[in-house]
Amino acid sequence: MDSLEVFDVESAIVSEQEFYRKIIEDNLASLKLAPAIGRIKVVLRPEDSLFQMAILLRDVGTRVTTIDIADMEAKPVAREIIISIKKEQYIPELLGKLWERYGKANISQPDRWTVAISTDKPEQEVAFLKDMMVADPRHRLHENLVDFAIRVTPEGFRVRYHLYKGNQFIFVASEEALKHRWIEEAGAMLEELTKGGKK
Amino acid sequence: MAVLRPYLYTGGVHKHGLLIELLEDVGGYIIQKVVTGTEVNLIMLIPEKDVPVVKKQSDELLGMMVEAPLTGVEIAVVSPTLASHHLPHSACDVAEYLRHPGANTNMIGLARGMGRRVSLSMDYERKLINEHDIAVFTFGSFSDCIINKKPKLFEGIEIPIVVTGGPDLKTEEVPGADLYVGNIGRTSHRLRKTEEVNALDKLNEGIGKIADNIRKQQAKDPLAVLPARVMKEIENQVSEIRTVLSPAPLTLQLNGLRVKLPYDEFHERLEKLEFDEGVTLSELADISKSKMKNYILIKIKSKSDVGFSI
Repeated sequence: MDSLEVFDVESAIVSEQEFYRKIIEDNLASLKLAPAIGRIKVVLRPEDSLFQMAILLRDVGTRVTTIDIADMEAKPVAREIIISIKKEQYIPELLGKLWERYGKANISQPDRWTVAISTDKPEQEVAFLKDMMVADPRHRLHENLVDFAIRVTPEGFRVRYHLYKGNQFIFVASEEALKHRWIEEAGAMLEELTKGGKK
Repeated sequence: MAVLRPYLYTGGVHKHGLLIELLEDVGGYIIQKVVTGTEVNLIMLIPEKDVPVVKKQSDELLGMMVEAPLTGVEIAVVSPTLASHHLPHSACDVAEYLRHPGANTNMIGLARGMGRRVSLSMDYERKLINEHDIAVFTFGSFSDCIINKKPKLFEGIEIPIVVTGGPDLKTEEVPGADLYVGNIGRTSHRLRKTEEVNALDKLNEGIGKIADNIRKQQAKDPLAVLPARVMKEIENQVSEIRTVLSPAPLTLQLNGLRVKLPYDEFHERLEKLEFDEGVTLSELADISKSKMKNYILIKIKSKSDVGFSI
């Protein structure tokens, strides 16, 4: 599945549809969600005060451990560990975890790609660090998806329903009490997306 | 009474005092002076016949002087709430753009303005909006909401109402609005595309016309004293105004001004403010506590009310 291979926004009035398409694009960009979303469909019904959204996510990868993003080398004589970064995007999370474990005073960054830790037991620590979880993209994705849904929904639609299961995400919002029918409709939208969406 | 024209001067700080002195000599007023680094922005009122003289001085200083039709107009930019759905884009963009032609804008976020059925405004909010000259309501992208649901927020608003929204509607379609400007709906990006900037230009132009209409109405029964003159007298007689850190300590309105000093401490001194002609301000204007913070609101009475004008 390519990113955003289906991107449908439906509304009775075409110009309003375009406004919302733009709002969705902007929010996808600011939350950096576009690569994670495969297919998305949004239906707007202002006359019913209703907003429905179904999203099919792409494979966003699994948990990231230190060994996935860096090479490590223990230096028993110098009593330190040298970490050579391969994927820069996770540095903030990695540093956060390292500071927590070793304290800021024991960690230095001689250059952009290197982190040095001074410790008494470098070899044991390397073994531990290898399997340490640095980031969980799925967790972050869930947070971002909910944030995204709230940002794109018209503000007055405060009654919300959301479902996040596997790679499926459904969001229904309204100003009135939600009707079962509306959630079922969103479910049908998701099914349609799973089959490839309306091309 | 001399007719005053509003102008905006932009130039270097160097020697700009000459311009201020000249303005005082010809009997004009400085409304606002903003110094940013080595640049200075002056919003001023110049007597019509002296505009060429001031223009010449400005050219000598290599500055730029443009007409600023919204000078002395205080505009309320009202957004349904202060949530990220409306701010900073597009409500702040609208407010910022209105400042270009010299207006003073205040952003007002209603407490419960969002939604269709549930949106409402409070008495306090309506009174606060009514303190301004013009209200600009920034609405969203659904024409159904703008036409059928949102106009209930206009109830109790006595000043001219301008509405911005996404769809291209006619002013007559929006009940209660004096002007509707499309293409400024809900967005999550800065308004900088051609059509968006054009819409903002259209908004400024439309509001300029509304302000002109108010001025024309006023000319039929002029104010007892010019707001700019009251401003100058306050600057001369109430020295504490210089210690106020707000961007516009004295904010001009079409029929009065807002003084950003605490009401309890200063209202008596303002009431006793004396003019050269021997009258005090309390004879010429209503001085009341503003709904905005603890400020003082001065609304100048018309000549027909007072019986004379100075």
